[in-house]
Amino acid sequence: MSDDDSANAVRAWADAHHMERAHLERWLALDAQSVAALLGAAVHLRLRVGQLRRALEMLEEIALVEQTQAAAVLARAPLKRILEGVGPAPARARAFVEELRAMRFPRMGRALERIKAEVAALGLPRAIGVTLPRDLGSDELRIEIRVRSAAEFKESLQALAERTERMERILNLLGGES
Amino acid sequence: MRFELEEIVIEERCRQSALAVRVVSRAPAAVPIGFIADARDAIRPAPGASDPFGAGKRRMVVMERRAPFLMACPAGSSEFACCGYLVLVLASNCPMDCSYCFLQEYLADNPSFQVYANYAGAFDELERVMRRAPGRALRVGTGELADSLAFDRMTGISHDLVEFCARRDGVLLELKTKTDEIDNLLGVDPRGRALVSWTLSPPRVFASSEKGTAAPAARLVAARRVLEAGYKVGFHLDPVIAYPEAERDYLALLDDLFDAISPARIAFISLGGLRMTPTLRSAARRRHPYDPLLCGEEVLAPDGRYRTFTPLRAALLRALERRIAAANPAITRYLCMEPPSIHRRVLGRAPAPAAALGAALAGR
Repeated sequence: MSDDDSANAVRAWADAHHMERAHLERWLALDAQSVAALLGAAVHLRLRVGQLRRALEMLEEIALVEQTQAAAVLARAPLKRILEGVGPAPARARAFVEELRAMRFPRMGRALERIKAEVAALGLPRAIGVTLPRDLGSDELRIEIRVRSAAEFKESLQALAERTERMERILNLLGGES
Repeated sequence: MRFELEEIVIEERCRQSALAVRVVSRAPAAVPIGFIADARDAIRPAPGASDPFGAGKRRMVVMERRAPFLMACPAGSSEFACCGYLVLVLASNCPMDCSYCFLQEYLADNPSFQVYANYAGAFDELERVMRRAPGRALRVGTGELADSLAFDRMTGISHDLVEFCARRDGVLLELKTKTDEIDNLLGVDPRGRALVSWTLSPPRVFASSEKGTAAPAARLVAARRVLEAGYKVGFHLDPVIAYPEAERDYLALLDDLFDAISPARIAFISLGGLRMTPTLRSAARRRHPYDPLLCGEEVLAPDGRYRTFTPLRAALLRALERRIAAANPAITRYLCMEPPSIHRRVLGRAPAPAAALGAALAGR
């Protein structure tokens, strides 16, 4: 496909998906190879316009930070596996955006995985839920207890008390102490 | 330092003011000077300009200030630990162009570089505040809506301001800058009542994000010179930008600082993580599309600003705090625009009330 054909195909995709003009212009502002590569992903994974917009933004940012091109990012193994894989397109589209996010926020991803592993290792009863701050945007841990009796309540408190040290460790991780 | 100016506009009623006369006599010959009846017409965004904020930086408007000069620091909020800084608005906007600067949002509707010819009125306001709160130590500065010393070579305001504060007890003037424009300061004795503070950034941040500013090494040389001239000095590591090598680079910056200035002679060091409202972030990225440091791992924090995700930000600030404390535990440290929980995690204590910290800083 020539560069012009590619640009026309992008315009057609944007038109069909009611994509805002500003985002279309940003897409077309990429180098020709990246314009085509992102179009390939959009068509292949049947990306929704919101997913395309997020993907475009993250690709621009990754490319800027790493001084590379969006096409080179899209050619990386984890994304290539998703693009060339099998399975329902919506699931692969979600995985595609998630993988881009992992590339865009690598240190946050690692920190989150570590903290999630610590939370899982607590082995809390089902009555107790632990919610981490969204995107680790704060150091506040939300602990939710759902009970229907005093006995369940006491059991839950006991379960938490037995895990005080490990809870403290999770809170410290949220505050950047390893 | 030489800053780019395309035009000087002087409000008619200020034509004979001392400031206007100084500006006209010191303006570069190539810069056209015009006059206007009401300068409020000259401070708005230039219609049709692709970058009205950037264009505003290159248009100096000498005018009368109609609003009070003294205001609480716009960074202050009950959400954050606060240093009690009082802002004297003697100018608005800045000829330098830092990609992260909050003025890109704050002054979007009146971006011209304004200098106020009736700035003596600020002295009257300050006198009134001091009379109303006798015995209270005030820390006032001119470096919030403008760089305190940029264009001082033309305006000469710093000289009058230091002279005014030098004659008064209970006030500490803070001139905050990223320049090395200190020559006007060297000719006046601050009598311990003026402090010059520099925002310090590692060379990587300077090169990527601080267009038109003095190099970090030049800022340190300037700091040493004003220290020798009798001024106090303080430093702001703010914003701390958490790029992958940030901890190494900021620690090296602190080493450079302590090599240049004895830690015992530093009045304070403030720390603050990069933070941007969504509007500021959009404006910054639009104006500085090639600055990779604007694409760090910032996420939306509970206060509605984009900030480096908390564990990384807290760890980085704590590493810097430890290096400062190791150099001299007596250096006053505080955080700017960080929530109390980060204050506790980084400094190991709850934040002091704004007035108390302000008074403590003023008394140093």
